[in-house]
Amino acid sequence: MNIELPPLVALLLFPGGLFLLSAGTVYEWADRKLVARFQNRIGPRWFQPVADVVKLLAKEEIVPDGVNPVLFHGLPVVALVGTLTAALYVPMAGIAPSYSFTGDLIVTLYLLSLMTLSMGLAGANTLDRFSLIGATRALTQLFSYEAPFLMALLGPAIAAGSWQISQVDAYAQGHWWLVLTQPVGFLVALVGLMGKLELPPFDSPEAETEIVAGPMTEYSGRGWALFRIGRDVELLVGLTLMAAFYLGGLANPIEFMLKTGGLLLVTAALQSLFCRLRIDQTVGMWWRIGILLALAQLFLLVFMR
Amino acid sequence: MGNQSLLQAIMNPLRTWARVNSPFAIHFNSGSCNGCDIEILATLTPRYDIERFGIKLQGSPRHADVLICTGPVTRQARDRLVRIYEQMPDPKFVVAVGSCGISGGVFQGCYNIVGNLADVIPVHAFVPGCPPRPEAIIYGVVALLNSLKQPAPKAPDAEAVA
Repeated sequence: MNIELPPLVALLLFPGGLFLLSAGTVYEWADRKLVARFQNRIGPRWFQPVADVVKLLAKEEIVPDGVNPVLFHGLPVVALVGTLTAALYVPMAGIAPSYSFTGDLIVTLYLLSLMTLSMGLAGANTLDRFSLIGATRALTQLFSYEAPFLMALLGPAIAAGSWQISQVDAYAQGHWWLVLTQPVGFLVALVGLMGKLELPPFDSPEAETEIVAGPMTEYSGRGWALFRIGRDVELLVGLTLMAAFYLGGLANPIEFMLKTGGLLLVTAALQSLFCRLRIDQTVGMWWRIGILLALAQLFLLVFMR
Repeated sequence: MGNQSLLQAIMNPLRTWARVNSPFAIHFNSGSCNGCDIEILATLTPRYDIERFGIKLQGSPRHADVLICTGPVTRQARDRLVRIYEQMPDPKFVVAVGSCGISGGVFQGCYNIVGNLADVIPVHAFVPGCPPRPEAIIYGVVALLNSLKQPAPKAPDAEAVA
């Protein structure tokens, strides 16, 4: 679906700004609800993420001793801005991307990494020992999943012969679902997305049973709220990207809802199936198995073309 | 001025609504026998599923709104309890779970006990029982949240810590 929107509307209302914030909270609720149902619980009410964010925004923000206040207040904003900007280059809600140019796939991936990078720096900025351990773990994990994730998303791009998200999306709509022709790449990308979002098998950076809350330990109120919204938007953008590349593209809003919803169901199931990996197991898994699978598929694609 | 009060008339109910519907809790044992702690852990299990009310257990005091305390306060735990309480951002609330937190219980008068919880930090809700059942703990937290909906929440009787 191709709709021309005035730039201000695209940035503030749809598909940027307000739509992203509200859709992000809806997806966070769906994720929590699904995990709760898998655990035989009833789960949170539909407005729960909104209530959490509003409450956190209205809370006191404590700036701990020994931090750089500019970084402390700036990093949550950078994280949120990065994910919000990344959403402009993906076919959000099945509508063609608002902005598109050659190579925007790489830019989008960098913008999505900005979130993890900001969280790592935010943890390293405070003097708290739990934040520091969480920050090292977050950055270590960033370096382990980023390369396989990028390679897994390059698979469809090579098949389509373009590094432009809208063109890969168009290619995916006109061909077989790429999850059938490139199943290995889909698997690597899906697990990579879960690593990117620090969902349960890969949540050692914020392991609440060992290091309190990881990089977020010293954040209260507004900063933490912004990081939470950023995480929600990243979830939305990541699911959109995956559905556009591997699940036959996103032609209209209904397809968007069905495909991202299906992906969310799979990630929620994986979240409740597996327990947390240690950080060395995470890194080992990515560099021993993930990168090899992604490389093998990439070579196959390059030589088969 | 009129503009400000209009903004406040919109924002204050919204803020109260969010506070009532999303209390993050942190659990601290200041010297109890672990009986109440086991009941609190039972409250967090899928059988009672307090995420229905938006209650989540947080690891960091910086993230928490409600401090769920068990037991009398020992001389060793006093400073830690005060520190945890002060690390929480405003607005913050304290729920004392179990008879010991209310009166010192069987530990009353022991050489190593400072006193009950209200002697050390302001407590907003008491849940009696030795130990209280999970239903009672949920009822206590919900009673605290309902008291927030009143226009002027009652100030705790206990003195703030020096």
